Amino acid sequence: MEKASSRLKVVALLIAFMFAALATRLWFLQVLAVAQNRHEALNNSVRIAQTDALRGTIKDDKGNPLVENRMSLEVRVRKDQLGPNAEQVLLNLADVLKVPIKTITKALQDKRYYDYQPKPVAEFVPEREAFYLDEHAAEFPGVTVVPTAVRSYPYAHANHDPEFAAHVLGYLGQIQGSELKSPKFKGYGENDLVGRSGLEQQYEKYLRGTKGVQKYIVNSDGETIRTLGEEPAKPGDDLVLALDGKIQQAAEEELYNGIQRARTVVDQTSGTYLKADGGAVIVLDAQTSGVVAMASWPAYNPEWFVKGLTPQQSHYLFGNNTLAPSLNRVTQQIYAPGSTFKPFVALSAAKEGIANFSNSYDCPAEYTVPGDTSGATFGNWSSTGLGYMSIAQALKVSCDTVFYDFGTQFFFNWRAHQLATNSEPFQRDLRQFGFGKPTGVDLPLEASGIVPDAKFMLDHPDLYPDGPIPGVNILLSIGSGEMRATPMQLATAYLALANGGKMCKPHLVDHIENAQGDTVKQIGTRCYAQLPYSQAQLDYIVQQGLSQVTQPGGTAGLAFSGFPLSTLPVAGKTGTSERPPFQDTSWFAAIVPAYQPKYVVIAMVEQGGFGSTTAAPIVRHIIERMYDLPVSGPVTGGSAD
Amino acid sequence: MDLVAGRTFAEERRPIRHVDPVLILVTLALAVIGLFLIYSATSQTLRQDGLDPFDRVNKQVITMILGMVLLLVIATFDYRFFKVYSGFIYGATLVLLLLVHVPGLSSSVGGTSNYINIPGAALLQISPSEFAKIGLLVILAAMLSELRGPVPTVQDLVRILGVALLTIGLVFINVEIGSVIVLVAITVGMLVVAGTRPRHLLILATASILMIFLALQLGVIKDYQRERLLAFLDSSNTSADARYNLQQSEIAVGSGGTFGRGYLKGTQTNLDYVPEQHTDFIFTVVGEEFGFVGAMFVLGLYALLLWRAVRIAYLSKDPFGTYVAVGIASMFAIQMFVNVGMVIGIMPITGIPLPFLSYGGSAMLVNFIAVGMLLSIHMRRFK
Repeated sequence: MEKASSRLKVVALLIAFMFAALATRLWFLQVLAVAQNRHEALNNSVRIAQTDALRGTIKDDKGNPLVENRMSLEVRVRKDQLGPNAEQVLLNLADVLKVPIKTITKALQDKRYYDYQPKPVAEFVPEREAFYLDEHAAEFPGVTVVPTAVRSYPYAHANHDPEFAAHVLGYLGQIQGSELKSPKFKGYGENDLVGRSGLEQQYEKYLRGTKGVQKYIVNSDGETIRTLGEEPAKPGDDLVLALDGKIQQAAEEELYNGIQRARTVVDQTSGTYLKADGGAVIVLDAQTSGVVAMASWPAYNPEWFVKGLTPQQSHYLFGNNTLAPSLNRVTQQIYAPGSTFKPFVALSAAKEGIANFSNSYDCPAEYTVPGDTSGATFGNWSSTGLGYMSIAQALKVSCDTVFYDFGTQFFFNWRAHQLATNSEPFQRDLRQFGFGKPTGVDLPLEASGIVPDAKFMLDHPDLYPDGPIPGVNILLSIGSGEMRATPMQLATAYLALANGGKMCKPHLVDHIENAQGDTVKQIGTRCYAQLPYSQAQLDYIVQQGLSQVTQPGGTAGLAFSGFPLSTLPVAGKTGTSERPPFQDTSWFAAIVPAYQPKYVVIAMVEQGGFGSTTAAPIVRHIIERMYDLPVSGPVTGGSAD
Repeated sequence: MDLVAGRTFAEERRPIRHVDPVLILVTLALAVIGLFLIYSATSQTLRQDGLDPFDRVNKQVITMILGMVLLLVIATFDYRFFKVYSGFIYGATLVLLLLVHVPGLSSSVGGTSNYINIPGAALLQISPSEFAKIGLLVILAAMLSELRGPVPTVQDLVRILGVALLTIGLVFINVEIGSVIVLVAITVGMLVVAGTRPRHLLILATASILMIFLALQLGVIKDYQRERLLAFLDSSNTSADARYNLQQSEIAVGSGGTFGRGYLKGTQTNLDYVPEQHTDFIFTVVGEEFGFVGAMFVLGLYALLLWRAVRIAYLSKDPFGTYVAVGIASMFAIQMFVNVGMVIGIMPITGIPLPFLSYGGSAMLVNFIAVGMLLSIHMRRFK
């Protein structure tokens, strides 16, 4: 066996080589790569389960619930637990739920969930079916019925007004994959709902609450071995609004009624019926600057978003739809404010020494810029000259030509002093009233509007090839031309007229309460500036000027005929702004009562004709309902700017 | 009568006085360690299912006792008994391999029928391929020890390979790639020691590779086997399932670190992340709970075992004993290498149990029988 012994050495060597290979690899795995392997082992076994927090509710100023949560029985399926007869189980499930099998299989393909996660396949399952599934659990492996919280709208439901405050309340939507990565949505999960508009979006961080976290050790089948720790979910905070449910409903209904009536009126300019295809109403509390009502039409039913939009609903809301029902016309859309703008022009002109409240001004039918020989004229809204009048009177009858001259003088002053630091006091004064910047109301995506100035014209050489021209200022003096404002901006400017010249940010939410009812944040009145006008100047505008507008002979005299003005004086201003090729935008802004102002009410109707025709009657009816007065029937407001 | 240290020479050379204590101790140590590992791998799951957490351990203890009885019985017999009956033993294992295909006798595990259910003995499932290793080992040892020349001639090789291929072929039909590898290793190990010319070995290797390639191409290998093999060869081109096995066992062993996480504290082990953990993947428990140090200790025990086996091959008084010992050493070595290698990702996943540590009846018994044969050779090493 001499040779055999040397051959045994070969075998021994091979075996030694095996040990060397194993030891090397073990050294690498266990000593060099231990950190990574430990990390992966941990990922393997610890699962973090989150329990959703109940979202905060929204209440009106009287504590009536506007938005709450209700339970939806949701059927969820865990794909990996369906067992060997998965197909049959799903077919039976489709039978029980009375849905096509395709809906279920499609839901199961949802890429947002892992297979070990239960996937929702049906919501709002009737209790009968849910009980059946529970009782026959053995026949439905991997199928569970879970109660989940969804939004409900008790006020809308109780008052049979499905579109109640839709734009104010907003809606929820599924979080997007891209958002999950952004730091703004830290802590959100893949199936989370997030506020997508209105208060739901604005106050998302208060409403959403804090998720509960449970840490489990699980085995490879996903079965829980033991719990590591549990942090219960904390419900979201509740919003208590300044909004008055009753007035909100009145505002919505009267806006709608007014729009319907406008459609029976023939537009004088186009000769066709008014289209009246959109409108807005805003009611502010003159003392607190709270939003008492905010209506935008056309609206939508927020309930749609709870069940998921149908293709038709989706198209209606977000499709190529010029009505843009999802838009809040109070804060997100800008319009030329027309003659409702004149009080601010008058105040600016008086402050800058161009006008004097004790002087008289001529109100011709047409206005020509002094020294302009081109023949260009600016017409008054009425085709007759009204002679000399005070500024109060000019507001009452809404004489455009008086204001045109203020605009011209402002322009000439600019041209003479354009290198001075404050060459455009007119625009500055208007901006101090809040025009040209968001009002700061607690709603998302508020529009800024435009106050056109020399820079605006220089920035738009396509529109103004010859540089700044007086025409823009002239039209600005009657709130037309390039001037744009949201109804909300107009409302806060009127608020300043009503409250002694304070600029305040309007608020929908008065305060935020936690689940125990303690106030966690007070929003309330937020005034940020005192305007440089004396109370006498403001009184002159409101009491001498605007109060007369609703009186006989005023532009809204017809619209308010029969209204108990002696007990409830209403200061107001009509507005009619041209918007070619569309029909005129109809405006009415009111301060009520005129002497100790409590509310500012603004109505705007797109393609609504004259302010007196459509908007003024809307405001009148809202005021009647706010003060529990007998609501007058259809009002013929006449055709006055 | 020669006297040695006051005793007669014959008495001094009585086999019972020459057992190999190291071999016995190492065998017992491995088997007992195996019990602890099986407990760690199975108790959690069993408890969860409401079963006795010691269920698997108890069964393994019974197998162990049975194995030790077999070891003692075989050690007391002269190993040359096996040479005499090598043809019969070989034939019997072939019959067992064929019995798997008799309907009603076989039980299917993992899609293949590798076990024979013995009627009335529910505890014992016999895995014929395990016993086939012993059968092949003794017949080859018998043939090689009777060679005329100093090295096997081509004719010898053809006869030997014919015998080996019969066993290997039957096991292959049963789709037990792991056992095929072990049988091939046994054959090659013995041929090397018999002095087969390197040229012939090369030709054999080439032929084998060609055959494996053909098997893959012709689809003789079942899908799951093929998948496991391919998972190892090319990890990017395989199903998640196959990769999962490999990944989880590597994570388990790797997360053990230098000193391990402590007995019963391995999360991978206790939570069933590693598949077939008490059987083929038992080494993950060693790696995770006892770390690099523990793994080296277990490998050290195997080194001792193999050293004793090779030493016995060297000490054997006749070529038959040498070849049997070499066959056994090859069998243990390849099983240990492929099994541990598979767990740590340097060998394909093939389903080879780890000698003495893995849970399982037949393999355990065969291992004890093999140690019994080694002992018998050692005890009778004097001419």
